[in-house]
Amino acid sequence: MIVARGLTKTYGPKTAVDHLSFTVEPGRVTGFLGPNGAGKSTTMRMILGLDRPTSGSVTVNGRSYAASPAPLREVGALLEARALHPGRSARDHLRWLAASNGIPRTRIDAVLDLVGLEAVADQRVGRFSLGMGQRLGIAVALLGEPPVVVLDEPVNGLDPEGIRWVRSLARELAAQGRTVLVSSHLMSEMALTADHLVVVGRGRMLADCSMADFIADHASSYVRVRSPRLGDAEALLRINGLDVDRVDDELRVRGRNAAEIGELLGSAGLYVHELSLVQSSLEDAFMTLTADSVEYATHSTETAGAVR
Amino acid sequence: MSTTTASAPARPGTGSSPTLDVVSLDPNRHVPGVRRPGFAHVLHAEWLKFWTVRSTRWSLGLLFALGAGLTTLVCWAAAADLAAGDTGEVPAAFLTWGLLFSQLTALALGTLVVTSEYGTGMIRATVTAVPRRGRVVAAKAVVLAGVLFVVGVVTAVAGYLGGNWFLEREGVGMALSDDGVMRALLGNGLYLAGLGLFALATGLLIRHTAAAVTVGMALVLVVGNVAYALPGTWGEWVAKLLPGNAGGSVAQVAPFNGGAVLAPWTGFGVFVAEVAALMLVAVLVFRRRDA
Repeated sequence: MIVARGLTKTYGPKTAVDHLSFTVEPGRVTGFLGPNGAGKSTTMRMILGLDRPTSGSVTVNGRSYAASPAPLREVGALLEARALHPGRSARDHLRWLAASNGIPRTRIDAVLDLVGLEAVADQRVGRFSLGMGQRLGIAVALLGEPPVVVLDEPVNGLDPEGIRWVRSLARELAAQGRTVLVSSHLMSEMALTADHLVVVGRGRMLADCSMADFIADHASSYVRVRSPRLGDAEALLRINGLDVDRVDDELRVRGRNAAEIGELLGSAGLYVHELSLVQSSLEDAFMTLTADSVEYATHSTETAGAVR
Repeated sequence: MSTTTASAPARPGTGSSPTLDVVSLDPNRHVPGVRRPGFAHVLHAEWLKFWTVRSTRWSLGLLFALGAGLTTLVCWAAAADLAAGDTGEVPAAFLTWGLLFSQLTALALGTLVVTSEYGTGMIRATVTAVPRRGRVVAAKAVVLAGVLFVVGVVTAVAGYLGGNWFLEREGVGMALSDDGVMRALLGNGLYLAGLGLFALATGLLIRHTAAAVTVGMALVLVVGNVAYALPGTWGEWVAKLLPGNAGGSVAQVAPFNGGAVLAPWTGFGVFVAEVAALMLVAVLVFRRRDA
């Protein structure tokens, strides 16, 4: 279990993480979501004792990371930026890590096998592709069979097969009762992996809820109605107390299902050309939620997600 | 993967009590039958790191080649002149001639032990594996100083054997039992080990390979030599106390003319104090700084 309380980190005048408080529970995958520059990596670095919080605290299983006698057996971490020497082989990298925490050497082959790097284990990691580097990072994270696993952007650079593998791995680790924290800037990725969501923007907490709640709260849906007599249809629905918006040549009706709306219009003898349920994606919900807190906003409507 | 029932079973939504968490922390519970790691483990890890990059072998190979090779070469070239008394120097000064250059590789190696980790991001892996940063530095220091001592002594002995063979032919050789010879051979190892630690501390403070190597070399070589141009008694003292000059005299059978140096062991004492002070500052900074 990871517990952050009032966690804050400032770099000079800039506040990277602003009073974050959250709990990462064991037995489920917690998604740590936010746009680039939201403070995800800084938070993870503070969890791992790499950065010192300006104020507040974060504990892993009840104490600070640095207080752990054998941290690699307690917390396994994949850091976003590469943290290895390009001239060293993958096996040698795992060897020194295992040695530092008294992890049995048999684990080295076990994790190499797990991530599918046995064949290239003796190559220098400088030659590794981004995806191979990610796999090695995951091998490092799992080396000590830690009860807590922290993965910063684990699917970066992975091919579709690798992405699916990471997803199922995260879920499997959680199913084993481990605490799993996975960061991403992609809502679509989180939707498929996480049970619980912590959403941050500009270092501040935007949401801390279950995935189901997040979907219910943020993903709006409506019924689209098209009709040759749109004005009459709109009037009729309004008279019946429905929530209706007219957008161009369609009506957007919220709060009722398509069957109810169709029957209402049908009973008045109005032809209906289209009656369809439109659900906005989680990506849209995430965009809406973080719209005000995007650190590096692009100022073209084409790229801002509006057309998605 | 063997399931170790690591933490409490899944209980989403229920806050587990702090006492339970602390219990589930014990690594011996997580991974049964393995001892809690100690300093020996950190030392082993740093030993593995030290030998699994190519720059280590390169630096040490170069150290030996320069130290022993140049000593031999210069003794061969100068033997006749020395015997004739044409150089104005004592033959003993030439028996560790290569140290002038081999010390550069010790500086480079000591710097790289730290700065290569900063340059590649490795440092993050290092301090996540061993969050007690003082231990990390201690382990690095033991490995580096130990290896440099051994290689330094071996290099000096090889240089002595090679160089003295040529001096001997001209009748100006020195026996191992002669005054200062054994001390200088051991002193080579001691001085290079100290210089490596000096560079390690510089690397910890500066964090960039090129900058740290430049600062180390400038301080030991350039400033060390230029300081002799300082006027008066105080200038001489500044020169004598600079790390390269203070530490170097223990590694030479006899000093070259033109530079006043402290007595070998006095100088080495000053050098050790300087290195220790710099290491202390470096460790304190390293412990406070974000990695």
